[in-house]
Amino acid sequence: MKQLQQSRYFQIPMLIVVFLIGVYLQRSGLIDGMLFYWEDIVYLTKQHIQLTLISGSIAIAVGLPLGIILSRPRFLHVSEWAMQVLNVGTTIPTLAILALSMSLLGIGFIPSVFGLFIASLLPIVRNTYTGLLGIPAHLKESASGIGMSPAQMLVQVEIPNAAYVIFAGIRTALAINVGTVPLAFLIGGGGLGELIFTGIDLFDTEMMLAGALMTALLAIVVDIIIAACTFLMVPRGVNPTRA
Amino acid sequence: MKLIRKIASVISLAAAVTLAGPAAAEKIVVGGKNFTEQQLLTSMTAQYLQAKGYDVDTRAGMGSAVLRSAQENGQVDVYWEYTGTGLIVYNDVKEKLGRQEGYERVRELDKPKGLIWLNPSAANNTYALAMQADEAEELGITTLSDLADAVNGGKELVLASNAEWYARDDGYRPFAKAYGFKLPRDQIKRMDSGLTYTALKEDEVDIALVFATDGRIPAFDFVLLEDDKGFFPDYAITPVVREEVLDSSPELAEQLNQLSDLLDNEVMSSLNASVDVEKQDISDVARNFLEKHGLI
Repeated sequence: MKQLQQSRYFQIPMLIVVFLIGVYLQRSGLIDGMLFYWEDIVYLTKQHIQLTLISGSIAIAVGLPLGIILSRPRFLHVSEWAMQVLNVGTTIPTLAILALSMSLLGIGFIPSVFGLFIASLLPIVRNTYTGLLGIPAHLKESASGIGMSPAQMLVQVEIPNAAYVIFAGIRTALAINVGTVPLAFLIGGGGLGELIFTGIDLFDTEMMLAGALMTALLAIVVDIIIAACTFLMVPRGVNPTRA
Repeated sequence: MKLIRKIASVISLAAAVTLAGPAAAEKIVVGGKNFTEQQLLTSMTAQYLQAKGYDVDTRAGMGSAVLRSAQENGQVDVYWEYTGTGLIVYNDVKEKLGRQEGYERVRELDKPKGLIWLNPSAANNTYALAMQADEAEELGITTLSDLADAVNGGKELVLASNAEWYARDDGYRPFAKAYGFKLPRDQIKRMDSGLTYTALKEDEVDIALVFATDGRIPAFDFVLLEDDKGFFPDYAITPVVREEVLDSSPELAEQLNQLSDLLDNEVMSSLNASVDVEKQDISDVARNFLEKHGLI
């Protein structure tokens, strides 16, 4: 109860501050300026979400199995090597990846998805791999002691225990992904980058902010969704957020 | 490369200061926009002025509005602007003006702001819409009015535009209004300036926004749609210099005018083609041009 009251003292001034910022923005015409681009904002946000969803799901669909395979004892001798290859892939600037995929796949949607997929692959693979390797030996021992097969052990012991780390990887990957989509504009892939880059070229702050704020908003929403998934999908016993 | 050049210029500046060599050279900042022609012009101007003994710094690859405000604020001393852009975008002039009138008007309007328009070149790098020659023939489109008719008649044509043109005051929206048509939002693809040519060549789009002096238009077998309603004004390429800079080095005007005299559509388009089609290095192309005309 006491805590609640304290937070209320904090909340009310915060609300007033937010309200005053809103009033200021409205009066300065910034919001009207941004709403002028409403049609564009809606259209481009849709494209932005599409790009993130498609490239993100492909990255998860490829990254999870890859991370699991690399963590199996049979592949351990190649896995550090494979991880280095992925590392190198991430050190190439995203813009260069996009440019490269453009020269392979032409311009527009497909090369953008491919570039974004590459950019968000590493965190997923890395976290899946690290999470699975980090399972304490005694857990695996007791699992095999009660007669579990390696497959059962993976599904019933290892993945649930590593789930929190794996989700953290997905969260990082998607946050990077949303923030990288604006670059897709440069190779004709659409997305909110259109507003951001045109705003920069034309020195039109409202246009640029319209794109940048929407991108930030999307990143926050994605983060909240993954956080909720983590909360719900990671088993109670090994979930720090539910302890 | 840019970093190396920057370091080199810092070192040479430091050397010049410590040695207190020949009377301190004037520092000139040459700016430029973010497409091939402008990068060529920036490089050309920088090398030319360097040869004339100025201490030159370059700021290439900016968007129009950014570059213009940089010049107004004194961060850029000279760059090549287009008369049409100067009139419509920076001075909000709505009326239709001829080539000479347009130049006179923008010169008068910019003078109080401390920006001096030198002699315009003969090159008119106007905006244009291009199509692949065979597709245009097949659809029977030769003018922009034909294009408007085709779109209004239900043809699904996709347009590639650069970021800037779509949003400019002399860009897509007023243009579409003047010709009386409207493309659905998903039939407009926006991308980096240079990509519109690739997009059209590779059939990703049906129409592309191009610059009239671009060397890829003949090389890729594109046709320009005729601006039959005269929507686009003249975009004569003209050196624009800050007045303060001209005051301290008055011979600069004459020197830049010499360069401006050499440029016309044919010259620009062949220079652009050497970079975009033959993939030659921008600074090499610029240097060769200057050497050929005995300017350096």
